[in-house]
Amino acid sequence: MLNQLIIDENNMGYIPSMGSSFQMNETAKEIISYLKNGDDKDTIILKLAEKYNQNENDIFIDVSDLLTKLRIYGLIK
Amino acid sequence: MKIAISGLNATDNPAPALGVAKSLKGNELVGFSYDVNEPANYLDVFNKKYLMPFPTLGIEELIDRLKQIKPDLIIPCLDAELPLYIKYQDEFNKMGIKTFLPTLESFELRNKNKLAKLSDELNLNYPKTYEISSIKEITDLIRENKLEFPFMVKGNYYKAYKTTNIEEAIEHFYTISNEWGFPILLQKMVKGEEINLVGLGDGEGNLVGAVSIKKLTTTSLGKIWSGITIDNKKLLQTAKDFVKATNWKGPFELECMSDGEVVNMIEINPRFPAWVYFATEVGVNLPQMLVKLANGEKVEQNLDFEIGKMYVRFTDEVVVDFKEFINLMSKKEL
Repeated sequence: MLNQLIIDENNMGYIPSMGSSFQMNETAKEIISYLKNGDDKDTIILKLAEKYNQNENDIFIDVSDLLTKLRIYGLIK
Repeated sequence: MKIAISGLNATDNPAPALGVAKSLKGNELVGFSYDVNEPANYLDVFNKKYLMPFPTLGIEELIDRLKQIKPDLIIPCLDAELPLYIKYQDEFNKMGIKTFLPTLESFELRNKNKLAKLSDELNLNYPKTYEISSIKEITDLIRENKLEFPFMVKGNYYKAYKTTNIEEAIEHFYTISNEWGFPILLQKMVKGEEINLVGLGDGEGNLVGAVSIKKLTTTSLGKIWSGITIDNKKLLQTAKDFVKATNWKGPFELECMSDGEVVNMIEINPRFPAWVYFATEVGVNLPQMLVKLANGEKVEQNLDFEIGKMYVRFTDEVVVDFKEFINLMSKKEL
């Protein structure tokens, strides 16, 4: 369902087919845009670590946490 | 044209009449009530309100009452009265009273205890459901691993409870069977969220109008309190398939569960839901379309509505003279 997710300027995500809405921060929005582009978890971690000059292990925790949430909400399998 | 609408309850378990009546504002509207305590009896949405004989009293009582009231069109909105109105729709027609209802055969196809067969024919998913009439059957199904907790305990016409243990299952079995009789249905739980559609079939296999929604918040009885319009193509296709397969004539509501991919059929209600005014407000006035179809007029298909429109119920009050209550009780009309 992630490909259906529409995110507005206030970082509110909305699934038109299910009427579900989600509030997200800038990082979540960025990770979701990578996922929509087809990037896998490792690629996303690398991109974020490089972009923000952060340790990959720290990024790993944040990305894993978001992916778990997206699974719980049924947005990804 | 005098249009009669039933289902005047407007409590936390609202019936559809108020929403239907608001959609038909400007017409001569009469309300068919079964109880002086139904709140819509005291609202000026209806030109007149009449106390009606209970459907269990049979067709002769109803016909006698209709001869006094002389409506031109009746829109019955309650499950319990629909079998009577459907069965005798030709009689009403001979009396000059129009209806816009499915055939008895179509109506029975969507009975809860026949929905599995219909779902198969429509290639839809329907949760495994067992029809039972004794407590022993519940324990047998659990012992044989055919059913595991949690599951739904449902009446064939009304009520549905989620149950998580055998004590609850037995309690719900008795609660439902004491009020609504048998059979009792035990249904496997399906993943996902409830999505709903209100639609209108023209009796020739065409869906003439529909609006899809998701309930955002509900009352303790599961009735919508707030909701949002959605764009769910699978749900819409399900409605089109249902109308085509049954040549459905009249309003209906689909209740489905979806995880975003699979749509599971849960129930098909053969009438407008109480939230029908939501559809009217977003541009699909199904009661108005029904009136036109019942009058033999052509109606353009309307499946266009804005996605993301929100519906919010609220409580309201009205103060009337107690004489109105007394008059309705004694004279059976107001």
